[in-house]
Amino acid sequence: MLTISNITKTFNPGTPNEVRALRDVSLRLEAGSFLIIIGTNGSGKSTLLNAVAGSFLPDFGTLTLAGQNITFWTEHRRAKLIGRVFQNPFSGTAPTMSIAENLAMAAMRGQPRGLGWALNHKLKAELRDRIRSLNMGLENRIDNAIGSLSGGQRQALTLLMASWLKPDLLLLDEHTAALDPKSADQVIRLTHDIIQRDKLTTLMVTHSMQQAVHLGDRIVMMHRGEVLHDLQGAERARVRPEDLLKRFEDVRRREQLDPTVAEMLQKNYI
Amino acid sequence: MTLLIGATTIGLILALLAMGVYLSFRIFNFPDITADGSITLGAAVTAILLVHHVSPGLATLAGFAAGALAGMTTGILHTKFKINGLLSGILVMTALYSVNLHVMSKSNVPLLNEATLVSQAETLGMTWFQVAAGSDLNVLGWSVGLRDAATLLAMLLLVGFLGLLLYLFFRTNLGTAMRATGDNPQMIRALGVSVDFIIILGLALSNGLIALSGSLLAQYQGFADVQMGIGMVVWGLASVIIGEALVGSSRIGLLITGAVIGSVLFRLLVAIALRWGLNPNDLKLITAGFVFVALVAPSLLRKLKPAAKPESSKA
Repeated sequence: MLTISNITKTFNPGTPNEVRALRDVSLRLEAGSFLIIIGTNGSGKSTLLNAVAGSFLPDFGTLTLAGQNITFWTEHRRAKLIGRVFQNPFSGTAPTMSIAENLAMAAMRGQPRGLGWALNHKLKAELRDRIRSLNMGLENRIDNAIGSLSGGQRQALTLLMASWLKPDLLLLDEHTAALDPKSADQVIRLTHDIIQRDKLTTLMVTHSMQQAVHLGDRIVMMHRGEVLHDLQGAERARVRPEDLLKRFEDVRRREQLDPTVAEMLQKNYI
Repeated sequence: MTLLIGATTIGLILALLAMGVYLSFRIFNFPDITADGSITLGAAVTAILLVHHVSPGLATLAGFAAGALAGMTTGILHTKFKINGLLSGILVMTALYSVNLHVMSKSNVPLLNEATLVSQAETLGMTWFQVAAGSDLNVLGWSVGLRDAATLLAMLLLVGFLGLLLYLFFRTNLGTAMRATGDNPQMIRALGVSVDFIIILGLALSNGLIALSGSLLAQYQGFADVQMGIGMVVWGLASVIIGEALVGSSRIGLLITGAVIGSVLFRLLVAIALRWGLNPNDLKLITAGFVFVALVAPSLLRKLKPAAKPESSKA
C-alpha cells in the first residue's frame, strides 16, 4: 500500500523559472490496485511519479510504502520496494551488456551485491523461461547485447526486469509513449498480464485515453500540480475515452481565462 | 635483445596502468586523470618503505592501497561534493604532487641496494634455472641476462593473473553492477545500486592498479621520481586505444587482453623509435598526437564513406 500525503514541490523557488510542480497532493493506493494518472503536459503527473521513485526530495509531505516511511530514502534504497519502467526505452537497460546480464542484475534488485557470479546455469535457465513467455523469440539471443534490440523489445524486457522480484509498487512512466503502435500494443498487453498475474500495486502515467480506460481500476486526472479528478468504483467503470477528453477540454477552456478572472467569476456567479 | 626485453617488461608493468585507465575511461566513461599522481604515489610509497627495509611484497601492496585511497578521494570529490569529474581528478592529482614529495622527502629515491620484487624474482630465477647471479641464460639461441628474464617472466605472470582477476570480477554481481553504472546509471540506480558508491569503489580499484603499476616500475628501474607520472594518463589511454583496434570487439575479456598487448606494443614501438634517433623530448608530444589521431580517426573515416552503413539510433 502506498500513501502520498500532502506532497509539495516547487522547482527553482524564488526565480523567474519557478514551477510549482506539485501542490499538496495526497493519494492513497490500496495494495493490489492499479492507478492510472492522466493530465496535460506540465500537470505534474511525471513529477509525482518521480517523487515516489525518489528522484528528488519533496519540500513538504510524507510518503509511506509497505508500512515504511520512505520520504527520506534515497532513490536506490527505494528500489528495494519499487520496480520502474521509464518513458525512454533506452533508460531501463544497459545497452552494451547482454540480455542475460541485464536480467541477472534485475534479479538482484535492492539486494546487496557481492562477489558471487552474476550468472549461473540455474539463473540462465530461469531467465530463458521467463523471456520465452514474452513470445518475442528473444530466448535464443540472451547473450546478445541488449542495445541491438528494438525499443519495443527493450521495453518488454524492462517490464520483465522491473517485475522480476515482485515489487511492492510498480511505476510505469508513459512506458509506451516512445513506441510504434504495434509495439505499444504488445507492451500494454504484457503490462496487463504481469500486473494481473502478480497482483501488483501499480502507478501508471499515460497520455493515451484508450489505455486509461481499458487498464487499471482507478483514474486520477492531474492539473497544475493538483489532483483534479479522482475516478473510482462505479464512476470509473462508466467512464469512456470521450468523457476523459471532455474533461481535458474543460480544463483547456478554463485555462484560457486569467486565474484571477476565473476566481472572480466563480465568486460572483457560482 | 636486451632493449626488446626491457621494453616488453616495462610494457607489461604499464599494462596495469592501461587496465586502470580502461576501467575509468571505458567502463565508467569517467575521464580520471588522478592517474598522473597516483602512479607516482604508488612508486613513492613503495620506494620509501623499501628504503626502510619493509618486505617488498608488503611495500608493493601498500603502494596499491595508497593509490586506491587517492582514487577514492577523487570519487568522493565527484560524487559527494558534485565537482566535475575532470576537475576532481585535477585537484587530487595536483595535491598528490605535494603528497609525493612529502612521502619521499626529496624528489628522487634510489633503490639500488634494496631488496625489491625484482631482486626477489632474480633470486627465484637463480634457483629455478640453476645459475649464478648476473649470469646469462641461453633462450632459443639468444643470450639473455638472468635478471631481465626473471623479471619479464614474473611480470608476465603477475599481469596475467591480475588481468584474469579483473575479468572475473566483471562477471560477479558487483562487477556487472559496475559495468552497468558506466553504461546506464539511471537503470542501475532503479535496480537498487548506489551509483556514488560504485563510482568511488571503481576509481579506487582503477587508481590502485595504476599505483601498483608505478610501484613495480620504481622497483624495476631502481628509483622513484616525483616527475615519473607526467603524461601517464595519455600513455595508458594510447595503450587502451591500440588494444581496442587490435581486438576489434566489445567483449570485456578481449578488451583487457587488448589493453595489455596494446601497452607492450606501444612500449616496443617507442623503444624502437628512440633507437632510430627519435628525440626523447618529443615523446609526450608524439603520444598526445597519437591519441588525438586515434580519437578523431574513426568518426573521420565514417564521414569519408557516407551511407556505407546507417548509424543505429541511440538516445
